[in-house]
Amino acid sequence: MRTRLRSLIIGDIQFQFKYGFYFVYTVFTFFYICLLFAFPATIREKAAILMIYSDPAAMGLFFMGSIVLFEKSQRVLNSIAVSPVKVSEYILSKVVSLGLIGTVVGVLIAFAAGNRNIILVIIATFMGSVIFSLFGLMIASKIQTLNQFMVATIPFEILCLVPSIFYLFGYQKPFMLLHPGIIVIRMMEGKNIENIAFELLMLGIWILMIYMVTYRIVKKMFQSVGGVKL
Amino acid sequence: MIKVENLEFSYTKKPFIKDINFEVKKGEIFGFLGPSGAGKSTLQKILTGLITNYSGSAIVNHTESKNHDDRFYENIGLDFEFPSLYEKLTARQNLKFFGSLYNKKLRDTEELFHKVGLGYDMDKKVFEYSKGMKSRLNFIKALLHDPDILFLDEPTSGLDPSNSRDMKNIILEEKHKGKTIILTTHNMNDAAELCDRVAFIVDGRVKALDTPHNLIMSKGATKLKYSYYDKKEIIRQCPLNKTVEDSKLLDLIQQNKLLSIHSSEPTLNDIFIEVTGRGLQ
Repeated sequence: MRTRLRSLIIGDIQFQFKYGFYFVYTVFTFFYICLLFAFPATIREKAAILMIYSDPAAMGLFFMGSIVLFEKSQRVLNSIAVSPVKVSEYILSKVVSLGLIGTVVGVLIAFAAGNRNIILVIIATFMGSVIFSLFGLMIASKIQTLNQFMVATIPFEILCLVPSIFYLFGYQKPFMLLHPGIIVIRMMEGKNIENIAFELLMLGIWILMIYMVTYRIVKKMFQSVGGVKL
Repeated sequence: MIKVENLEFSYTKKPFIKDINFEVKKGEIFGFLGPSGAGKSTLQKILTGLITNYSGSAIVNHTESKNHDDRFYENIGLDFEFPSLYEKLTARQNLKFFGSLYNKKLRDTEELFHKVGLGYDMDKKVFEYSKGMKSRLNFIKALLHDPDILFLDEPTSGLDPSNSRDMKNIILEEKHKGKTIILTTHNMNDAAELCDRVAFIVDGRVKALDTPHNLIMSKGATKLKYSYYDKKEIIRQCPLNKTVEDSKLLDLIQQNKLLSIHSSEPTLNDIFIEVTGRGLQ
């Protein structure tokens, strides 16, 4: 990994640690695992998948607002924008740092629920987290307050979560298999392993498309730091 | 080091910055002076590659600013007017993080801390720092990767006289090392003391550009101020080169009745007001 990208990722992890994200997720993981055992064994694995998909994987959508707003309020973004850091490196750093913690939490919950497709859980949680984090970054780059961020994330939460929950609990139509969230859930369930390459490709295409939009928005944010509206 | 020709930029249809031309040589301290909203920050954003949709040319370190790549920033250091630091990290952690973003060999961090009087506070978290300490930390953050060009925005703002003096000495030291420095300030005393040349910027245009000395000498003559007693203290003045024509002054000298006499040069601020018709806010 390139040195600067590695430095950025370490910096982001350090920042997330200092601001208590890791502490919050340690508590959440413990809480989720306890909650999991309140469910009957028959639906425990499904509940775990829903938990992983809607929280550790979706962490980027919830936390990106506060991360970027902190950077805006402390004007750290100004310094990053006039450093050799590329927009792509900035995005990757945010996505990877949140993806790592999300994946660790996801694996712990899956393991506690008795899910044995751990490799697939790792891949699916990480890729799901990338999608959610990109959406989070896209929104966070545009907003100025946490309230604006909370409101702006609602449509994304509905679009990402609702079809996936329907699918997980039985409403399954073939066209739904193109939905990135449903692909992630199917991978966590260990379904359709023979078509894993196709599913990875589909997720890759989704990620690429969302990344391209996020890139344009973050680039504009870099140019506008310091109050210049372009 | 910096060459700007026919630069024009606008946020709307109406030009905001127009017809800007100047050149800054290596090792020069060049000042942008002007009231708020005059276009100084916009000009700085163009030179630092943040605004790219301008017309004309802005060449910085042999690169047209709008065509820069990420290596462009290896040789540019920016000290923003307001601190841009991670508040929950220590000063040392901040410099370590920002330093890690550059590929160049970094300057000795501890030496920089000691230079600005933060030697004993480098392991304190930034939120514990006073405003002046944050300004000094922000300043050394800009020097950390040893850039060829420094953009300093109000570097002495919020500093006490002693720290302000130290900061100015460091700026002059950097100049003597061959660094090119662009200083944006409202502080006319700093500009007169530090800058080799200054540009007065008002309404997006350069109204005057010269050395502070030449601006003062060309726009305002040195005056002689004197006072004497005639039922009450009376103060008069005349241009220094016309003292011989001031019969009152000659009489007072002959009668030994002067209470005080001294020459007074106009300040850069006086010249700014004269040239632009406006003061600095």
